[in-house]
Amino acid sequence: MQIGSPVYFLRSRAVNEIMLKTTVICFLASYGLAFACELSQLKRRYALTRIVSLLLAVAGLVAHTFYLLRRSNQSDLPPLLSSAHDWLLVVAWLAVLVYLFVTMADGELATGLVMWPVILILVITSRFVTDSPSHRLDYHRGWKMLHASMLGLGTTFVLLGFVSSLLYLWQHRRLKKRLMTTGAVKLPNLELIERLNRWAILTAVPFQAFGIATGFGLSIFAKGGELPMTWTDPVVIGGAITGLLMGALFVWLLTQKRSPGRQVALLTAWACGFLLVTMIGLQMLTAAVGMRSIHGSASALSEAATQGRAP
Amino acid sequence: MNLLALYCTHQTTPLAIRERLAFATPERLAAAYTRLKERFPETESVVLSTCNRVELYVARPSDAEPLTPPLLAQFLSEFHDVPLDEFVGELRAATGSEAVRHLFEVISSLDSMVLGEPQIVNQVREAYRVAEAQGSCGSVAHALFQGAIRTSSRVRSETRLAEGKVSIASVAVGDFAKSIFDHFADKLVLVIGAGEMAEETLRYLKDEGVRDIVVVNRSPERAERVAAEWGGRTAPWSDLNKWLGQADVIVSTTGADKPIVDAKLFKQVRAANPGRTAFILDLGAPRDFDTNVGDLDNVFLYDIDSLRNTCEENRKARVREIDKAREVIDEETAKFMAEYYHRASGEVVSRLMQDWHGVSRDELDRLFNKLPHLNEKDREQIERTVERIVNKLLHPPLEALKDEAREGTPHGLINALKKLFGL
Repeated sequence: MQIGSPVYFLRSRAVNEIMLKTTVICFLASYGLAFACELSQLKRRYALTRIVSLLLAVAGLVAHTFYLLRRSNQSDLPPLLSSAHDWLLVVAWLAVLVYLFVTMADGELATGLVMWPVILILVITSRFVTDSPSHRLDYHRGWKMLHASMLGLGTTFVLLGFVSSLLYLWQHRRLKKRLMTTGAVKLPNLELIERLNRWAILTAVPFQAFGIATGFGLSIFAKGGELPMTWTDPVVIGGAITGLLMGALFVWLLTQKRSPGRQVALLTAWACGFLLVTMIGLQMLTAAVGMRSIHGSASALSEAATQGRAP
Repeated sequence: MNLLALYCTHQTTPLAIRERLAFATPERLAAAYTRLKERFPETESVVLSTCNRVELYVARPSDAEPLTPPLLAQFLSEFHDVPLDEFVGELRAATGSEAVRHLFEVISSLDSMVLGEPQIVNQVREAYRVAEAQGSCGSVAHALFQGAIRTSSRVRSETRLAEGKVSIASVAVGDFAKSIFDHFADKLVLVIGAGEMAEETLRYLKDEGVRDIVVVNRSPERAERVAAEWGGRTAPWSDLNKWLGQADVIVSTTGADKPIVDAKLFKQVRAANPGRTAFILDLGAPRDFDTNVGDLDNVFLYDIDSLRNTCEENRKARVREIDKAREVIDEETAKFMAEYYHRASGEVVSRLMQDWHGVSRDELDRLFNKLPHLNEKDREQIERTVERIVNKLLHPPLEALKDEAREGTPHGLINALKKLFGL
């Protein structure tokens, strides 16, 4: 390893110390303050507040990255495969990246007002799902990585679809009520949001479908102490229902010559909202009650492994 | 300060008089400058003539006899061949710092018909450019108009006086149509009727890139005229429903005594394009579209009243900024006056310094001739010492002059210095 190389930098002592001290609270606080800055600009936009908000978001993202790297180092697993806690934080990390990209492209847009609550919810709920790393990755490691990545990307696009549909409904309401634009809140035009929304769903569904399909495949071909799929598993039921719902939305969007904007936005908001609530809710539920589930707590898996049978 | 502003504006004078006093063409304006120079030599002058105001700014040297409002009014009367008694009561005059403040308020649009409108800055700039080209600007006019332009920039950047749109058409297009459509090049605009407000809306839509315009009007002649002016095409009144079904933007101003389109009809004509978004701007009074058309999905209906509220809100928001704008204008006026007075006393200061340093130089030359054994270093030391003595002796009178100049041209002190030191 060469001095000056990125790997050297990441393993250097100072960086390691910072990584060890970084907790969820660090970036949660940064994101919370960035959201507060956005809220403070509802009346009037000030360049200084905008810069502070951006700096807080970047600082939060750096801390977030350090935290995920530390978790990855500790469990010797990529964050996507480590635990439900890490997986949710990866999705939140991707959402922050998208937010920063949009803000850099057009700093006037009020995307932060919708994006930050979603990001904060993801980070907060990550505290209530299992954070015990899975140690059963002896088999099908590549397929498992593909499964987690597809679901992660799919969820990020679902998140974007959800955010864009909320923006659409907000702008639609303003235009129908003939409300003038308040000084600071600049929303994108309906035509643009409609296009973004459509593409977010059309991209999310194939990722989700592939992720779910590989998940089913992995469960069917489970080996050793791995937990096989059962049709009574709440995560399986939830995944199947939301997958079908998103699939129906996908087909409907493809068959529409011209998408009636508000209807699409409402459907997307409900479908994506339901998907997010189901996925996150089920993870929280299985962690809270110690239910045995395909993405459940490590205790369930450990138990299964110790007993040498499927639970 | 020998500065006079004589003016009549939309706030003080009826249009019937303003248009008779206006310098409407470049030729008339050039002729006015020629006549001003003949009549008032050694006078700087700038003429600002727009549809809302006619203003003359004239400045003369401090020691020259000042120009008076009656003299300028007489000039206007003779130049325009309008009897003096027909307009003299409508004229307003301001001198010195009041004239400066007036120009700063004008260029900041505080005196405009629409508060915060941007055109006035260009009109003042153009007046200044023409005066300069005519050779009518001197140091005072240059400083005054450059100060005015700086003031307007500050007012626009430090206040929200120019924020928010205040005309129905600009609000309709800028605040609402642009929040619906991403671009307008592929949008079909249907104009029903051919009123003035429809044309104003077309101007804003053209600025946004609209290409396809269809004008439907009961009178084909007017439709032809509007279509020709805005690069559109006409369609017979009988085809109205067909175009209603296809248009993305509909601007209606028919003057019909009852609505010509209701929700049932509109839904029916749009049946072939159910998901297509329609932006309808109903400028008719009474309205051309039934209000329930606005309840349909993907239809955004705006009438004059709904837009007027937005205009009024924006206007009120601008009015709330007037005090802040006045603060900037007060600051800039004070700054301009201080600089002006400082310049006026500057001539005396430089002459005084020149004389005293000249005397010390002569005495030093004489001394060095008498003491040839002094080397270069000694001479330099002596020169520096004498220079310091002169500067220290000059410091109290010059500081007193500077202090006095903050309040106005210190004529008394300047005269005293001239007499005392034989300047």
